[in-house]
Amino acid sequence: MELLTDGLLALLTAYLAFRCMLAPKLSKTVFTFFAFGLILALMWIRLGAVDVAIAEAAIASGFMGVLLLDSLRDFSPSYSEFEDNIEQPPNQVAFAKRSLSQWVPAIASGAGLLLFLFIALQAVREVPAGGGLAAFAEAKLPESGAEHPVTAVLLNFRAYDTLLEVAVILMGLLAIFAAGGIRQFRKPSLPPAKDPVLRKAILIFTPLLFLFGAFLLYIGKSGPGGAFQAAVLWGAIGILLHLGGWRIFNALSRRMRRIIIIAGPLFFLLTGFALMARSGTFLAYPPAFAGFLILIIETLAAVSIAAALTAIYAFLTD
Amino acid sequence: MIKEVFVVILLAVGCFFFLAGTLGLLRFPNLYARLHALTNADNLGVGFIAAGMALYIGSPWTAVKLFFIWILTLLSGATTSYLIARFRKEHDDSANGNGK
Repeated sequence: MELLTDGLLALLTAYLAFRCMLAPKLSKTVFTFFAFGLILALMWIRLGAVDVAIAEAAIASGFMGVLLLDSLRDFSPSYSEFEDNIEQPPNQVAFAKRSLSQWVPAIASGAGLLLFLFIALQAVREVPAGGGLAAFAEAKLPESGAEHPVTAVLLNFRAYDTLLEVAVILMGLLAIFAAGGIRQFRKPSLPPAKDPVLRKAILIFTPLLFLFGAFLLYIGKSGPGGAFQAAVLWGAIGILLHLGGWRIFNALSRRMRRIIIIAGPLFFLLTGFALMARSGTFLAYPPAFAGFLILIIETLAAVSIAAALTAIYAFLTD
Repeated sequence: MIKEVFVVILLAVGCFFFLAGTLGLLRFPNLYARLHALTNADNLGVGFIAAGMALYIGSPWTAVKLFFIWILTLLSGATTSYLIARFRKEHDDSANGNGK
C-alpha cells in the first residue's frame, strides 16, 4: 500500500515536472508549477522531512508562485507595455529548427545532472553504519538549546549555513532592486484590489497568518517549523495587505525599512563575532544561553525575511 | 469496528465529491459551471475527508484543528472562486460592450 502511494507520488512528480516544462502557454507553466510544488511537499513529508515540506510548500511553491504569477503580467495583453513580450497563441509559435550547437548545452547539463545523481547515490551508500553525523548530532542535542534535531543543526551546529541563507535573501533583494532600476525590466504597477470581498478575506486571514507564523517560529524549538517557515507566513501578510491596497511597507520610512530588513542577519552576524571573541569559535553558543540566543536570532531573522519578501513584492508591483 | 466503518464511509463520500468535482472541472461547458463543480469538491469533499480523519485519529484536539483547516479551506476557496467569476464577468461584459 505504501509502495503504491509513494510510486504514484513519484510518477506524479516526474509527470508534473515534464508538464511544467513542456506546457504550451506560460500561464499553464505557472499553474503546473504550483501543483508541482504541492506534490513535492507531499513527497518530502513521505520522506519524513516535514521541515523541508513546509519550506517547500511555503517558499518554493507559495512565494515563488506569487512572483511567477506577477511576472505573467508582463506577458498579458492587458498589462504589458512591451508588445514584443506578449505571448503568441501556441499554434502560432514557429518552432525554429534546433541546430546541433543548441543541443550540446542541453545534453551536457543532462549528463552533468545524471553524474550528480550518481555521486549522490554513491554518497548515500557510503554513509557509515551509525548514520554519519546523525548520531553525533543527537548526542549533542541537549547542549544545543533546541529539542528538534533539525533546528539544532540549522541554528547551532551549522549556524553559519543558516546565516548565509538569510544573507542570500538579502542579496536577492538587492539584485531585484538593482535590476528593477533598468527601465526594460520595470513593470507597470499593479492597481490595488478594490474588491470588498477580497479585502474582507485578507483582513480575516491576516491575524490567522500572524498567529500561525508565530506558532511555527515557537514550535521550531521542539518540532518541524522555524524562522524561514514563519517568515514566509508573515511575508504573506505583507503581500496580502499590499494586494488589498494597504501599502504598509511603503508607509514606513526608508530608514525604518532598512533597519527591519537588516536586523536579522546583522544580529546573527554580531552574535557570531561576539561569541567568537568570547570562546574563539564563530557562533559557538554557550550551552546555558543557547536556547535563548536561538529564539532571538530566529525571531529577528523571521521578521527580516518577512520584511524582505514583502519588499520584493512591493517593489515588483509598485 | 463500527468506528472504522464510519471512517471508511466518510472518506469514501469525500472522495466521491472530489471525483465528481474533478469530472465537472474537466467536462462542464463554461467557467461558472466549472467553478461550481470545484467548490463542491472543496467544500464537501474536504469536509467529509476531514471528518473521517478526525474520527479516525479520535483526539478532540486534532478534530478542532481539522475543523479549522476545513473552515479556512472554505473561506479561501469561496473567495478565490468569487474573484475568478467576477474577473471573468467583467471581462465578458467589457468584451460585449466593445462589440456593439
